[in-house]
Amino acid sequence: MPVNDLGYRPWQGDRTNQVVRPWVVARSGISLVWRRRWLRTMLMLAWLPIVVPALALFAFEYSSVEPDFQDAIYGLMRGPLGQPELARQLIDDPDQARHQVWSSLILVFFRYPQLLAMVVLIGLVAPMLVSYDLRTKAYLMYFSRPLSPLQYVVGKSAVIWFILAMIVTVPALLLHLLGVLLSSDFSVISQTWDIPLRILAASAVLMIPTTALAMGYSSLTSESRYATFAWFATWAMGFVAYQILTFSQTAIRGKLPRGRRRGPVNWEELGVDLDKWRLLSPYHTLGKVQAWIFDLDTTPASNAPSLLMLGAITVAGFWIVRSRIIARLSA
Amino acid sequence: MCALEDVSLQIRPGITGLLGPNGSGKSTLIKSLLGLVRTQSGRGRVLHYAWPRDVRAIRDSVGYLPEDDCYIAGLTGIESVTLMSRLSGLAGNEGLRRSHEMLDYCGFGEERYREVESYSTGMRQKLKFAQTLVHDPPLLILDEPTTGLDPDQRVAMLNRIRNLAIKHGKSVILSTHILHDVRSVCDQVIILVGGTLRVVDSLENLSRPIEPTVRVVIVGDASAFVEAATIAGYSVRAEEDFGVWCVERIGPDEVKRLWQIAAETRTSIRSLQPAVNSLDKIFMDVAAGKLRTVPQRGMEAVDAGQ
Repeated sequence: MPVNDLGYRPWQGDRTNQVVRPWVVARSGISLVWRRRWLRTMLMLAWLPIVVPALALFAFEYSSVEPDFQDAIYGLMRGPLGQPELARQLIDDPDQARHQVWSSLILVFFRYPQLLAMVVLIGLVAPMLVSYDLRTKAYLMYFSRPLSPLQYVVGKSAVIWFILAMIVTVPALLLHLLGVLLSSDFSVISQTWDIPLRILAASAVLMIPTTALAMGYSSLTSESRYATFAWFATWAMGFVAYQILTFSQTAIRGKLPRGRRRGPVNWEELGVDLDKWRLLSPYHTLGKVQAWIFDLDTTPASNAPSLLMLGAITVAGFWIVRSRIIARLSA
Repeated sequence: MCALEDVSLQIRPGITGLLGPNGSGKSTLIKSLLGLVRTQSGRGRVLHYAWPRDVRAIRDSVGYLPEDDCYIAGLTGIESVTLMSRLSGLAGNEGLRRSHEMLDYCGFGEERYREVESYSTGMRQKLKFAQTLVHDPPLLILDEPTTGLDPDQRVAMLNRIRNLAIKHGKSVILSTHILHDVRSVCDQVIILVGGTLRVVDSLENLSRPIEPTVRVVIVGDASAFVEAATIAGYSVRAEEDFGVWCVERIGPDEVKRLWQIAAETRTSIRSLQPAVNSLDKIFMDVAAGKLRTVPQRGMEAVDAGQ
């Protein structure tokens, strides 16, 4: 008991607007996941890959003031990286080359280490968000307040958006800032002003459908492990199915390149259609749209099917969460 | 399946008991009022808000204690109450301060800093009550608030409910199966059976027998007293308890006559008091369809409080 028991006292005061209430759900969710040491460790580890594009940016910018180093970069691009056109552009029009090099480095950062980190982190965090609420009937607590199902979904989704922003958007924006700081003058800002916007667009494309998918799985069961399994199965099976269906015919014909080789493979020459089975794999579907956002899409097919697929996943995922919550409330 | 049908009622300020057998639609009625389940038709007013149009505003002004054992996993007691306060719009430290105040009021000590998963059922019930009160709502809707509480805590909870209604002007809708709780705190009673409204009346009216009746507790042999009373024109029947008799059709000014009969038959009376209908009997009669006291149609649905 309190030392000085005042009993019940009425309360009068100003209340915050109902519009900002989802922020309360988000803040509470972020605070809860942030307590987990393994998550903080993984977030730190997810930042490690930034070292590689950061060093590459440094090398590129250093080459603009050091002719000997520029020769080395030129050789690297022509040779091991298999980018002779970009190497020529580096000499002829370094400003134009800068935009492409920065975009490519950030896209690679998005596509490989961060997408993997995203799949792992979201797979471990997202299933708990709605599943736990279903198991402990916490939704009754949330909806006893003036909160709509949509606001609840937005609040819960914001937890995932926060994590993704921490491991993808913020490091990518910092990479751009690092590039600006390492460059010889601030005119690079006018040359690369669109890159931060592309980062934000690519982040949105990454965050919204993946969040909807993860939340959808999470809302389908009160056992979060099943949602975790479904999440990883979707990414792994989609990836494997795409690889097999795309490359198996070429492999059977014995046309796949053997051994180590320099630069990217021209798959079209080998008769491989990289877009035919793309919609089976969330990883490759996201990759197509993100490459398009950074203006680095090398495959000929339209982006419309990939965009439609991501849109459909988003709508379906959020619709499932909303329906499940409403169904539970009516039970 | 129709969970609720033709429910039209007006709930006055004070404490109202919402009774009914399992599956009678009590929780559905509460959830409908809060807009948690969609209704196909109907209209009304909760506090000064139009129902069902302003259900979110209604939820902002109502403290709802759900029947289910529900909590937000991973949070401590104080964090749970603070989260609810912030969802109700209490900003920053004010939400935290008010949450501590409510936990103090509900009898929480240091255990407020423990995770809710480690709480007993009774502690979770008290925690839910603190969450219900944190935004100082004028109307409380409590669904089985005493479930899982030990006798002392149950009495304390009922005292708090009574205190909130009497001293702080709160209106309370108390849904429960425990008739003793209703008897001890409620002013009026609503009984639902099979999704339809059977009874809306004050407890005082319901407790009053149809015919004036006196309850007499007799020590020893009562046969002479019963025979004499019957000859005098009264209807006498035995209660379930041994030695307890009900003398029916007796006016308040005729009680003296009973004392005279007792003296004439040399019978000892231990107590003599006006009989009241027991809530258990009322409930059983309503559930069996023997009793029905519904209000006039066309009344506003809910107008508790204010």
